[in-house]
Amino acid sequence: MKTTYFLFALIITLFISGCDPLVTTFDDTEDAVLYQSNLIKEFPAKKSISVMTWNVRFGVARLDFALDACGDRVIISKSEVITGLEGIANKIKNDDIDIVLMQEVDVQSKRSSYVDQAQWLLNNTDLNYGAYASKWKSQIILADGIGRVDAGNLILSKWKLEDAKRHQLPLRGDQDGLTQLFYLRRNVLSAKVNMPGTPFYAVNGHLTAFATDDTKQKHISGFKSILDDIVANGFSFVAGGDLNAIPPNATKTDYCLEDQCEVGTYHSGKEPEHKEGAYFKEEITWLNDLYGSYEPAISLEQYGMNETKHYTHSPGGKLELDRKLDYLWTNTAWSNGVTHQDATKLSDHMPVTANWTVK
Amino acid sequence: MRIIHLLFIFSFISAQWSSESAFLLEKGRKEVGLFTPFRMGMENGSELSVNKFLMMPSVSIKQGMSMYNSWKMARIFRVEYPTPGLKWLQSPLGKEMGDPNMFSLISTQFSIPQMLSFYSEIIGTTGNINSGQLSLSAGIGVALNGKNLSDDATIDLPIIYPRLSIYYNDFIIKSGGQYYRKFTDSFYYLIDYDMYLMPGGRGRYAFEQQGLAVWQKSNTFRLSFGYKLIAGEYPFGAQAHFLPTINIQFGW
Repeated sequence: MKTTYFLFALIITLFISGCDPLVTTFDDTEDAVLYQSNLIKEFPAKKSISVMTWNVRFGVARLDFALDACGDRVIISKSEVITGLEGIANKIKNDDIDIVLMQEVDVQSKRSSYVDQAQWLLNNTDLNYGAYASKWKSQIILADGIGRVDAGNLILSKWKLEDAKRHQLPLRGDQDGLTQLFYLRRNVLSAKVNMPGTPFYAVNGHLTAFATDDTKQKHISGFKSILDDIVANGFSFVAGGDLNAIPPNATKTDYCLEDQCEVGTYHSGKEPEHKEGAYFKEEITWLNDLYGSYEPAISLEQYGMNETKHYTHSPGGKLELDRKLDYLWTNTAWSNGVTHQDATKLSDHMPVTANWTVK
Repeated sequence: MRIIHLLFIFSFISAQWSSESAFLLEKGRKEVGLFTPFRMGMENGSELSVNKFLMMPSVSIKQGMSMYNSWKMARIFRVEYPTPGLKWLQSPLGKEMGDPNMFSLISTQFSIPQMLSFYSEIIGTTGNINSGQLSLSAGIGVALNGKNLSDDATIDLPIIYPRLSIYYNDFIIKSGGQYYRKFTDSFYYLIDYDMYLMPGGRGRYAFEQQGLAVWQKSNTFRLSFGYKLIAGEYPFGAQAHFLPTINIQFGW
């Protein structure tokens, strides 16, 4: 069966390849794609910089998307996407954010009606510059009518971005070759923010959610090693992203039953026992190294005192948040770390913000 | 079974317009290709063409017309019923969304209405195959009931997009040309182009240029291979593709 799939995919690949590859693959490190707003606004250097991380779910808010929400829709209309982006842009403008680390941004995907969300957000916020790195780029995804896709990580900034790099993370080790070919290529995006007088780095990661082997551990390690290199070179950083990992002191580690689409799919004695991306028990310590090395916007003590206040995610259309997956880090210090649970209708992840004090 | 799926995809593409000459098959002669429809010369002097994969049924009739100066003229009328084929493309392996529905090219969230399309085309051919045969063609197509098909249900791929655009855009204008010449006793070459205009569509044009080397062993077997260069506009923007092509045809 797999041989037939390979043959089928090879012929389709030949059929629509040519000037551009069917599936875009990436070097270990390569330049990111740079964007800028249609209208550049001038911003002076600041002593305290507001930073946000937000997985924006490609602008479809809490709509019933098939691939992550047990829904039956794959293609979301342009008007629905624009409505979703307007909610995101308003949140960024109202909170006067200086640097946004954004995940799940579509720039040319059929599922979001081909809206270039990076350019749209720059044109509809006060942010001037963007750097983008694809995590999923293919002329066609041969499943569910997904079609063409280009989705990835985005850094938005009021100040010019330089030296923007896409750092490839390891591919999932628990997939067959064909699935892996068409699957996500997770990465970490870094860029130097050229704020006058005090350049610093912004780092944005979206790590694997569904790997059942040690791929997530490798991703966390890869994310941290990029931060280590920045510090070793004498710079400070603001970093963040959707790490798809829960804090080491989280009291709940098993979401299989909450996340299943059909009752009885998991914990029923049948294989697989656990749902991919919903069972964290065996990986609960994997963020310890990050917490031990760098400063989180929400400390473990803050989180432990009131877990529910810092939950950042609930899947699909479920509005009741039930876990923390999104983080901000720095090598210096944060103040006023906030999880914006008021944004629960704008995405399936909540933005986390904090003020970074420039030293 | 997968091979049948593949042949189907290629065949429904080839069953639609492609450049050809104004000459008709002789009475009683039949031709069929791996990726081209079944054609047959009729008793009344016309030529019948049928897509051999019945999920995308189409029938066309080609009729000779009076000469125009040195040009041999013909007209083609074609009708196509795409509904079963498009429904099949929503779930080629019969899976549901989330299974995952592998090889699905159209999301099952869209309903495919009952649709029909009608094409009319005029072709003129001058010259002969030894010194070079030139054919020019132009035509239009209209679709019925395409308004009930979502504009988001397109397949945004080269070759496929312009040929299905009639169902999203209600009509299409097409022109084409072909130059065919004998090279040696059994080798020929063919250069052609096709231009699709889809005014008002999310992708408004497609230009296809093809070069083929043809080896014709006898009147019963023909092998052709070459390239196709496609420059077109799609709902996401413009893109060019360069594709290898191959076909095997049999005649009797």
